[in-house]
Amino acid sequence: MRTKQVRSVAIAAAVAAGLVLVASACGGGGGGGGNTGTTSGTTPTGQRTFPVLKAVWGTTDYMDPGLSYRLESWQLFQDVYVGLVIKAHVSCQTSNCAKIIPGLATTTGTVTNGGTDYKFTLRKGLKYSNGEAVKASDFKNTIIRDFNLNSPGIGFFSNIVGVASCEANPTKCKDISGIITDDSKGTVEIKLQKPESDFEYVLSIPFTAVVPSSTPHKDTENPPPAASGPYYIASYNPSKSFVVKRNPNWKKHEIPGMPDGNPDEIKATMTDDQAQAAQLVASGQDDYDENILPTDQLAHYKSKFGPQIKFFTTPSTYYFFMNWRLAPFNNLKARQAVNYAVDRQQLVNLRGGLGVPTWNFLPPSYPQYKKITPTPYPYNLQKAKQLVKQSGTAGQTVTVYTISDVSVDLSTGEYLQGQLKKIGYNAKLKAIAGANYFTIVGNQSTKAQIGFTDWFEDYPYPSDWFNVLLNGDRITKVHNNNYGNVDVKAMNTQMAHLASLPPDQALAGATNAKWAVMDRDFMTKYAATVPYLNGILTSFFSTKMNVNCDIFDDSQDDVAQFCQK
Amino acid sequence: MATTGQEEFTLDTAAELAAEEGGTRIQGKSPWVIAGRRLRRNYVALTFLGVFVLVVICCLLAPVYASHVSGLGENDTNSGGIITVNGQRVHVISQGGTKIVNGQPQIVFGGIPIGPQWGAAGGQYILGADELGRDVTTRLLFGGRNSLFIGVTSAAICTILSVILALLAGYFGGIVDWIISRFFDLIWAFPVVLLGIALGTALSLNGFHHGPINISGGSLWIPIGVISFVFVPYIGRPLRGQVLALRNREFVEAATAQGAGPIRIMFTELLPNLASSVLVLFTLIIANAILTEVALSFLGAGVQLPNPSWGTMIEEGSAKLSTAPAISLFPGIAIAITVLAINVFGDGLRDALDPRAKIRIEHG
Repeated sequence: MRTKQVRSVAIAAAVAAGLVLVASACGGGGGGGGNTGTTSGTTPTGQRTFPVLKAVWGTTDYMDPGLSYRLESWQLFQDVYVGLVIKAHVSCQTSNCAKIIPGLATTTGTVTNGGTDYKFTLRKGLKYSNGEAVKASDFKNTIIRDFNLNSPGIGFFSNIVGVASCEANPTKCKDISGIITDDSKGTVEIKLQKPESDFEYVLSIPFTAVVPSSTPHKDTENPPPAASGPYYIASYNPSKSFVVKRNPNWKKHEIPGMPDGNPDEIKATMTDDQAQAAQLVASGQDDYDENILPTDQLAHYKSKFGPQIKFFTTPSTYYFFMNWRLAPFNNLKARQAVNYAVDRQQLVNLRGGLGVPTWNFLPPSYPQYKKITPTPYPYNLQKAKQLVKQSGTAGQTVTVYTISDVSVDLSTGEYLQGQLKKIGYNAKLKAIAGANYFTIVGNQSTKAQIGFTDWFEDYPYPSDWFNVLLNGDRITKVHNNNYGNVDVKAMNTQMAHLASLPPDQALAGATNAKWAVMDRDFMTKYAATVPYLNGILTSFFSTKMNVNCDIFDDSQDDVAQFCQK
Repeated sequence: MATTGQEEFTLDTAAELAAEEGGTRIQGKSPWVIAGRRLRRNYVALTFLGVFVLVVICCLLAPVYASHVSGLGENDTNSGGIITVNGQRVHVISQGGTKIVNGQPQIVFGGIPIGPQWGAAGGQYILGADELGRDVTTRLLFGGRNSLFIGVTSAAICTILSVILALLAGYFGGIVDWIISRFFDLIWAFPVVLLGIALGTALSLNGFHHGPINISGGSLWIPIGVISFVFVPYIGRPLRGQVLALRNREFVEAATAQGAGPIRIMFTELLPNLASSVLVLFTLIIANAILTEVALSFLGAGVQLPNPSWGTMIEEGSAKLSTAPAISLFPGIAIAITVLAINVFGDGLRDALDPRAKIRIEHG
């Protein structure tokens, strides 16, 4: 998923063990991340409820689980929308947060027929926040709804039997033959065309979180769709505020492993102004800042509120996409030139030091990561200029896209625009509000040439990076995640092969090595993108809050587990 | 021959008397000469005119400063640069990152731009750097060019448009006056900045492409067009009132009797009588146009990044107000000085041209 100010965490030491557990337990593939936070918390054993959590939150794209692909929403969704399976709500520092556990289903599923058939049975007596009963057919309807919404998540379903017609015409999708449900028995059966090593993970992300069949097949935000988790979103005023309340139909410990939640209510104001957000928490008006701290005031906040701030390295890569379908970036030398022209260290500085320079696409916390050596594109402006000349693209007009309302992202775009000018392009800048940015650059009609983006894992396996972001077979007209329209047939085939390995091979050393080769080839042979840093994020709490309750499960703070001192 | 008693005393007799008495010939002074004399005696207005001229000259010399002093162009980034300050090598932007200490990552906070060096860095970064290592002084001067260009040009376009509309409305009256007056009312109904933001945001996204006019979204002509448009009623309405008063005067009737057409009457009879008001309004509207440009650019609806203007500089610096206040502070000072200078001079000009006039630019 993408965000401008994510807090996310990878899963470090537990990676391999966790993935093997997942793979062996439920037939899913898995990968891992790494966590290198400087402070750590412990999970309280008992529930510590309190009336209201007042938070300040970044703006997001949608508040509909079928449409949103931003961590600002997903952070809430983890306690609101539940899938057949879920990721464990445990700290990545102390436990295996990559572990998949049963959600609405009683088990993590029965996998048969060589890894192509998944069968689940729903728990009995489940109800949504609106009082409707959770039915097996709701799952199928949820996936069809995703297609009808032209959701950015529909690419995850391309391996399901019978999706061809839906993929051809998503908004007219009526049925998917590979999903068979029985409401009376509460069973859901999913038939895949071929084994898929990460399918269990796919079933845990918000795009597959089950919503009632009565939910309109259109963007539903005020209020958002009814919830099956311990909380529901009572109201949402885009880019301004939201209120989350306890689901009146949630029974305590209804889903083992899912927290019942400590705050009775979460009231959040939304802003992308990092300084304002931090000030609201510093002054005690709010208790939690979801935004990253203002990068120029890190030292100030650290010295004044040290114990209330946490820093976390994340399974993320910040990168510039380059559109392979448009000049000048349909030219390999032009793409290589941009890679040479970007000084990664300076982009880390722009984030106040919250980042680690990278030339790989995969984050270092993955077992499939292998640092590309020697550094493929050391900063070299002269070489970049030569390459631009050799490519015959010098003087062409290039428009750099970036986010306008987050100062760091805006500066990053300005930096790239400046560097492109230095190497001989007539570079211009187009800054778009963060709430619309990814929707606009993900629309082919925008014809975005080059721009800022980032990626935080949906789940810890390389297919979530390469398949989603660089697979030419998954390019779409709208909500496209492959902004650069990267399309290398040989790599697409290799991706398909690696993603369809049986679970016992998915994490084998040889498989990991193949992912690492893909990472290297994409970056060195094709100069597919310009990865520049792995992000470090902050969590800032007021003095009222007990930071030891802060749980990073996979990619974000779990607000349900926050507690007061 | 001297005349006494019952004979009428005219200017001619006065001239004859003066000639007979060997005195100097009495010469008529035009209102412009009288105004010039009054203005020359207004030292405060002249001082501020000098300040404004100085600001303009400094801004016009921006390319010279960039090439001979700072060595950096308006948009040239230098985030990895190292300069020598008092014999010591210093990073333009403090370097940050993550170090592994005892197996734990330790974050070194960085990204803070160097502050004003005055003369300590051999002329470089006199007013400091911004977050991308760009020279604040260079951007201040180039930004001033953009802000002044937009302010003066939009004020000129706005004044020309307003004069034409005011003449048409005031001279023809009737339905023409009604349509133009309602148009003025319509624009007047919106707060200037709000209307400017709406138009500026819409146009800066995709530019203006109609017929032969093709303006890209990042062009300076977008804020110029927007500002010219939103201020039209603020000049047009007072001028229309003056035209209404003038059109029934004898000289207009005389011109009509001589067979002069509407165009000739408007531009050779009425316009010269409006000239002093137009000049004062033009001067005062420049200051308002500059302030509006700053507001629009601050809100992202004016000059588009990375191009500098005083408004965009303040906006960019606002994110680093606590650690690098110079980025916002100096453009703010420049705006205050420039607008003050124009307003004081404008008031002086008004007093000189017509001390009884009550011309003001008033808007919401």
